[in-house]
Amino acid sequence: MKRVTAFVSVWLCVALSPIFAWADGMVVDKVYHPYVLPNEKAAEWRLHSRQTDTKNYLAQRFGLGFAVAEGLAIEGFAIGERNPNDRDNYDLAAFEGEVRWQIVEQGKYWADWGLLFELEKRTKESAYEATTGLIFEKEIGRTSLTMNAFLIREWGKDIEDEWESEFRAQYRYRLVPAFQPAIEIYAGQDFFGIGPGFIGLYRFEGQRQLKWEAGFISEIGHNGKDHSFRLALEYEY
Amino acid sequence: MKINAFCLLLTFSGFFISTLAFASDSFLLVLENHLFTPAKVEVPAGKKVRLVIENKDAEPEEFDSFDLNREKVLFPGRKSVIYIGPLEPGEYRFFGEFSPNTAQGVVVAKEPDNAS
Repeated sequence: MKRVTAFVSVWLCVALSPIFAWADGMVVDKVYHPYVLPNEKAAEWRLHSRQTDTKNYLAQRFGLGFAVAEGLAIEGFAIGERNPNDRDNYDLAAFEGEVRWQIVEQGKYWADWGLLFELEKRTKESAYEATTGLIFEKEIGRTSLTMNAFLIREWGKDIEDEWESEFRAQYRYRLVPAFQPAIEIYAGQDFFGIGPGFIGLYRFEGQRQLKWEAGFISEIGHNGKDHSFRLALEYEY
Repeated sequence: MKINAFCLLLTFSGFFISTLAFASDSFLLVLENHLFTPAKVEVPAGKKVRLVIENKDAEPEEFDSFDLNREKVLFPGRKSVIYIGPLEPGEYRFFGEFSPNTAQGVVVAKEPDNAS
């Protein structure tokens, strides 16, 4: 346990150190796990709602993905966002491609590792975002600690070129398949949020299953209201 | 502010290299006619072990266990390795997703002195 504590401390120290320029935008999102099954095919929907004292953000994404090799999966997303200044203006805001790579066999080493690569293109402006993420998961009895650290490069004619970073963590108790409570932490630019999460799984016949996740995250680094709600449904077939 | 990506990479690489921990004990199971044999596997508690599963069926199967927190595709005609543990003493059920009514088994973790 001392080893886990020391390891988490170093992750947090690195993630929170001033060498980072934090990522802006919507920080609360899925916490990625470092596992890919060879025959995996999935359709995914994610919702993120964020309310502050002055604005109300809403974003949804639809994704289709499949494994292309043992330990390697790709997924494409269409991302819709509501303009926080114009509540009637809900639009297709971006497309994103994602590659997940499971780099070690689950349980073989002290912890499990994966990598994530994403490329996002905004639809109505010259703005791109490339993300490289390190995914970590450690099983501790009936609990699992998952951490994501992302390096992000933004560029384009309509945005300032910059490097950014993000950190996400989820500590999950594997109570029963349908209900696994968790604590989630998210850190980005002007954002440090924490709150409860819930993960569940319903199995149909064969390989088909529905995974669901929800989280209620409160920003605690600043005064004022800043609450996020996230919901994700993933159908594997 | 600029990110010192090299520092970050070095930190994570260092941890990755320093955290290797291999399982030493192996336990062989065979999947044939959609049945796991043996269906009950006794392993020492508190140790990381390997389940080596040989799928002798013509179709793939997917090993699934919420208790063990593992999912693994078992390709036909191949031996697959599943690393489990360290486990607390107790019973951990597993099954095959494509034949859940027949392909069932249990891992029993026992204190080393009691394990067979």
